[in-house]
Amino acid sequence: MDALQTLDEMNRLLNISDGETVNTSMRLPVSLRDAAALAVTQFGAAPSTTSLTAAALRQALETVVMEAALQMHYEQYPSTEPTLCEIALALALQDASPLADRPDLIASAAVEVAARRPHADADDVLLWAEAQLLGAA
Amino acid sequence: MRSIVLDNEAVQALTDARSRKHRVVVAHLAGVVARRRRGRVVEVVVPTAVRVEAGWDRTTPSAAAINRFGVLDHVLDSPCADLAARIQRATSTGVADAHIGATVRSLSSSEIVVLTSDPTDIAAVCSPSPVRIVNL
Repeated sequence: MDALQTLDEMNRLLNISDGETVNTSMRLPVSLRDAAALAVTQFGAAPSTTSLTAAALRQALETVVMEAALQMHYEQYPSTEPTLCEIALALALQDASPLADRPDLIASAAVEVAARRPHADADDVLLWAEAQLLGAA
Repeated sequence: MRSIVLDNEAVQALTDARSRKHRVVVAHLAGVVARRRRGRVVEVVVPTAVRVEAGWDRTTPSAAAINRFGVLDHVLDSPCADLAARIQRATSTGVADAHIGATVRSLSSSEIVVLTSDPTDIAAVCSPSPVRIVNL
């Protein structure tokens, strides 16, 4: 199975909404299981430890799929890959942040953050830009 | 939890890598991934009437690429169709936009963002629900 087929199969499996469950041989650290049980009973984190575990696993898998899909898309169409600045601007718009009206500030922040932290993400850029904005006020 | 709702233009832009708005919509998806990696729960949703308008048939080979982005369907079931019909009658907008309005009203997310090229109509169909409209 190549990467595209794997991605399609993962999407197919994640989109199945039946309630069928299975006992797995997946081994969890006892301490993690006990912490999950406490989160459920004491803080109402989820209806059960099973649903808590399944939801966390689904969240992680969906993220893997989305990220892999984007990476494959960039490999096929390199010009479509957004810059760190463009992603930060998109998030500023989604957040209705005042920074959305300052793409210049986001652009300079993206350059400065990337120079210091090569693995920085868009939220690092927004935090830096917001600090600049407050510093200038 | 945040839901990002796509309108017809957003879907069209995402489908066509040559579209001048393609990279903008992809940046929004990349932002979703970035937030999810930080533990935020963010989903991307397309009302099924929008898929109809945009010609997005998930079963066709041409849809293989867009199918992979993890965009979830919000189906036009019977209650949603009733709500969309009321919205359509009240706003004189199209069916797909009315379904966007019904989708926004039925989502349980604390934050809803609509990516659209028609902020006026989207504001009309979503009113009075609190929603962030991002103009593409």
